Amino acid sequence: MAQNFEFSLGERRALAPTGVIRLKMADAQELVNLTIDGVPLSVPKGTLLVEAAKQIKQEIPVYCYHTKLGPAGLCRVCLVEVEGMPKLQIGCNTPVAEGMVVHTQNAKVNAGRGMVLELLLVNHPLDCPICDKGGECDLQDYAMAYGRGSSDVADPKQSKPKGVDLGPTIVLDEERCVVCQRCVRYDDIIAAESQLVVKDRGHNDIIATATGDPYAHNFTGNVTELCPVGALTSKTYRFKSRPWDLVRTQTSCTQCAVGCQQFVDQRSGSLLRAQMVESDDRVSDGWLCDRGRYNIGFYTADDRITQPLYNDNGTFVQVGWDDALSMWAKAIREAQTAGKAIGAIGGGRLLNEEAYLLQHVFRAIGTQNLDWRAGRQAVATPARTGTYQDLEKAAAILMIGETPEERAPVMWLRVIKAVTRNGAKLIRVATADKAPNIAHVDAKSVEEALSLLPAQGQVVVVWDGIDTSVGAKIRDAMASRNGMGLIASEQPNARGAEAMGMLPASGGMDTGAMFDAAGRGELGALSLFGVNPVRNFSNPERARAALEATPFVVVSELFMTETARLATLVLPARGAYEKSGTVVNIAGDLLPVNASVQGPVGTLSDLEMLVGLAQQFGLPLPTVEELERTVIEKAATAGPVALRELHGEAAHDTIARPARTIWDGGGTAAHDPRITRMLADKMIPTELVEA
Amino acid sequence: MRKQLYNVGAILKGLSITFRFMFAKRPTIEYPSVKKQHAPRFHGLHELRRYADGKERCIGCELCSSACPANAITVIGAENTPEDRKSPGERHAARYEIDELRCIFCGMCEEACPTDAIVLTPRFEMSDYKRGALIYSKDRLLVPADAGVGAAPDERPNGIPGDLGRVAEIKSTTDIERGYSATNRGEILKKQTRGLAILPPQREDV
Amino acid sequence: MPVTKVLTEGIGEANLRDIDVYRQRGGYVQWERAVRELTPAQVMEAADKSGLRGRGGAGFPTGRKWGFLPNNGKPRYLVCNCDEAEPGTFKDHMLLEQTPHLVLEGILLGAYGIGCTHAYIYIRGEFKEGYEIFTKALADARAAGMFGKKLFGTDYSLEVTAHRGAGAYICGEETGLLNSLEGKRGEPRLKPPFPAIAGLYGMPTVVNNVETLAYLVPVLKNGAEWFSSVGTERSKGYKIVSVSGHVQKPGNYEMPLGTTVREIIEIAGGLLPGRKFAAVQPGGQSSACIFEEHLDYPYDYESMAKAGSMLGSGAFTVFDDSTDFVKAAFNSVRFYAHESCGQCTPCREGGHWLERVLHRFVEGRGLASDLEMIERVGTTITGLNLCALGDSIEPFLISVFRRFKPQFEARIQREEAVGV
Repeated sequence: MAQNFEFSLGERRALAPTGVIRLKMADAQELVNLTIDGVPLSVPKGTLLVEAAKQIKQEIPVYCYHTKLGPAGLCRVCLVEVEGMPKLQIGCNTPVAEGMVVHTQNAKVNAGRGMVLELLLVNHPLDCPICDKGGECDLQDYAMAYGRGSSDVADPKQSKPKGVDLGPTIVLDEERCVVCQRCVRYDDIIAAESQLVVKDRGHNDIIATATGDPYAHNFTGNVTELCPVGALTSKTYRFKSRPWDLVRTQTSCTQCAVGCQQFVDQRSGSLLRAQMVESDDRVSDGWLCDRGRYNIGFYTADDRITQPLYNDNGTFVQVGWDDALSMWAKAIREAQTAGKAIGAIGGGRLLNEEAYLLQHVFRAIGTQNLDWRAGRQAVATPARTGTYQDLEKAAAILMIGETPEERAPVMWLRVIKAVTRNGAKLIRVATADKAPNIAHVDAKSVEEALSLLPAQGQVVVVWDGIDTSVGAKIRDAMASRNGMGLIASEQPNARGAEAMGMLPASGGMDTGAMFDAAGRGELGALSLFGVNPVRNFSNPERARAALEATPFVVVSELFMTETARLATLVLPARGAYEKSGTVVNIAGDLLPVNASVQGPVGTLSDLEMLVGLAQQFGLPLPTVEELERTVIEKAATAGPVALRELHGEAAHDTIARPARTIWDGGGTAAHDPRITRMLADKMIPTELVEA
Repeated sequence: MRKQLYNVGAILKGLSITFRFMFAKRPTIEYPSVKKQHAPRFHGLHELRRYADGKERCIGCELCSSACPANAITVIGAENTPEDRKSPGERHAARYEIDELRCIFCGMCEEACPTDAIVLTPRFEMSDYKRGALIYSKDRLLVPADAGVGAAPDERPNGIPGDLGRVAEIKSTTDIERGYSATNRGEILKKQTRGLAILPPQREDV
Repeated sequence: MPVTKVLTEGIGEANLRDIDVYRQRGGYVQWERAVRELTPAQVMEAADKSGLRGRGGAGFPTGRKWGFLPNNGKPRYLVCNCDEAEPGTFKDHMLLEQTPHLVLEGILLGAYGIGCTHAYIYIRGEFKEGYEIFTKALADARAAGMFGKKLFGTDYSLEVTAHRGAGAYICGEETGLLNSLEGKRGEPRLKPPFPAIAGLYGMPTVVNNVETLAYLVPVLKNGAEWFSSVGTERSKGYKIVSVSGHVQKPGNYEMPLGTTVREIIEIAGGLLPGRKFAAVQPGGQSSACIFEEHLDYPYDYESMAKAGSMLGSGAFTVFDDSTDFVKAAFNSVRFYAHESCGQCTPCREGGHWLERVLHRFVEGRGLASDLEMIERVGTTITGLNLCALGDSIEPFLISVFRRFKPQFEARIQREEAVGV
């Protein structure tokens, strides 16, 4: 089934980010004419030679330069000859000039580059066979392309510690480090953490944290990809594979609602690593958070459910899929016959296609009791959606509610960019959370925050979508000044579910009302798709009581969650890397999700389950083309929904919760021993580990 | 008469060849009771060697598997821990499997190996009744720790050195007991089998 | 030519550390006159017309350097570079300890000349005593109203801060110094932008040597023409030369630029008895050696460049025929390898590599192939570096390597086997 959704991606791809060469635009309008390797070209004034050369597809090798980090002038491998200048120039810090004649390949340049590469290899160990980077290493590639091929080094290489534990996620090989300082600059400029520094000096240079503490924040994994050699490697991927074994799929990360593009690499059916898509300027700006990067091991976890399970008076017994589907259909029919309500909750963790089919099938069966909301969030689509680019260019950013920096981590990197580099004013409505490392103003109330806004300029509000009274205040304040909103949803495809119509309509009950009805004994059958209200609902006890009171509860899940343990029937589902479709992210982009592995034998995607259920009822189903078209249409046209309050106690958090971290959402991280070991008691609340 | 004598002569001439070969040394070797010595660089069954201190030479770099034209080698690396150091350095092969049914005995793995860990021995008898038994995993490829250090590939004595026989003797491994599916290749095939047919064919055009 | 006394006047005769003594001898008169009577432009003009060139090593015309500051309304900073770490140079050390008020007056004049309201002096970490002396001089001068708010009844206010480094040679490089002053790791910055555009805290900044700034005092006192009347055509004025090495009386000698190399050796008492001249390193450890054929060259910026070396900071090291140039080269390279900040590849790896190779030579374990390698690597890494430190490895090494090659060849191990 999954393969059937490899439909023509033309439209979806058009929405997906494309590789755009970011030019350093000092004065974008003014063009400068120059010649590189005999090819004349015009580029904007201020463009650096290393970027200009890309336009004529001429590679200038670099180690320390990175498009997103700018020039540093450390590695000296990007040497070029500029006519009229006696010395070789570094391409990474030489801006173009009118009439400049540049040679990137000639005897003089090659001698200089060959020297630099020879010097880099004086102390670099040749343990390529066991290096994780071997096969995708810039040093290997450039040494082959520009190196001398021989060396006069007669002395032993300098020995430094290998396998240094830098933090919970990263291992450092000090011998392999070429001191390009990309990691140090990344930590400073992009993550605004400034934990990494270069210690000691000269040939004894090593990368370390300034304080000696473990290197830990939400974005540490990116340094492993910035590292041009194998000095910084991920603990989860260490020695697992060689690059040429991996089968790569580009997909959208569905761990949170940001929707970062990522490459997912699998080897013989196991997901081994996720990597960033550097050209993804639209969504992720080319970065990934540690959860999106490392939380992939749960797909092959031992405690994954791979058989439908029927709760036979407290014992779960394995049943076949045919039996499971007919039991499910029978329970729904019986409830309807008995005059009891039926309902379905879910969608925020499903793909758009699945969410659409979910409401389609259940509406056809004959219920309007549908809701995607199973946590505390009340709304996922803002009145006027801002894009991540708007956020980056905003004059002021208003952050209200629960830790958007943990809920939507990579969006937080945009906020850092806006504040530290574009001069945006960051106003937070003070919470108990740790203060960010960047300049910000804490306000006591929404009113105070609104009063702190600058009179002019674009305002972007980042809100958690929980308290609708706050939402109303923001909406009214923003309406007058054309402000934009981004709702950091707790479920990855909350916006998609909302757009696909997973909301109660014309007399239907929302989640809270369904729970109330269950308490009164009026709910006959409830189907839950990828939601865990017993853990996440605003009042978990109420959710527990409701599920216990409902005669037939079906839960489609990957693991035996708190909710699944209360179910009558547990259906083993497939995760997002195991199915194809689309999601809608916080900024309203329709993003493709492409299956990179097949799910374990015995599991089905929620789409397949719903198709099975529809067939039990003999319902007509849309064709693949119709489904595709409807999803694209709905995603594109879905406007903001009215601010709605989750019936009952949505706005009130009745239980004390541990401070949210990026690792909480969904609780999947707890099923990967690598992650739990890696983060130990550092990041995951204990209750999550035990879950 | 002359003609008849000529015929007899021809017969005797023909028989002389027969009789000559009757007493000549026979080229047939009575295998398996007698075994021929192969050329020293005969490409036969693989083995994984050790260093003098007993550590495995293989570092799990997978260069053999990428050099293999028949795609017969599977290597999965892992990290050495201070408590359980299998090879010098940081990495060792957690799994090492050669599908001898696919192997074309070209010796490219031997060429590619940076540590001279995998070598082809002159041993050639490896037929079996089970397919799974012909996927040699690390426990059968690795020279037993107590078998001493094998000679370097180019210095191998003619024939089958004693310690090499030991390698092939070990057959009572779990991999054979559990057969093909216990190997990595078997596991991949198992994963790739989508064993579900719960929905009727029309689901293809949902 | 005789030894002159301009900056060194009074040193060894009077206690110039005492602000009263200094003022009795005419100190701070120029400073007060400048603030009361002269415009900053006039001070800058005097500096420009005097032909004063940077005495720290690069020899860049001071007035021209000040002229690079953009008029963009941003605050400007003057930083006095007293991180005198160049081996063989000890003039700033002497000025700082012996006549701190002259140094301060020079800083004040420079600050006034570029229109800055906060000047810094970065003092080398090892100059503990100098730092204490200068801090006291600062306190005395502040008490005497020499700097602070609303000076001498005008609207001009000026603050001076003394900062002591932590002992890294690289912090003498102007952008490394600025990083260190900002509290960052002492690494040179990528240029452009140059400090004149974005220096200390990203603001337009001038970094001048102690001696350069100190010469502003006599220049203002005696006029720009007085200063430019001595010296050679393009190297004007006086220079304190720190003579060291195989001479009878090493020390600081102030003299007009253009004194010949031979004369300087004679001023310093000549060679040790019975020794023969071998080489002179005329501008600190970063300069190439000059030899017998250059003895009659005038000691000025142009002639030293013509001789294949440079005047640098005026550290004049004399080597006689008893010198083991293999050891000297090793010592020099070891210094640069040790002091390299490690930012850029050629300096970090090249210095370390050459150090190890030369170490083998010192131990008599050189390889024949190393001779070619020293020549190739030594010359190629120059010009590839981020800052001047990496480019400074080559001059001394290659000049003595080429001149005294037999000494190197004698250290080659006969068997082509190194115990590596």
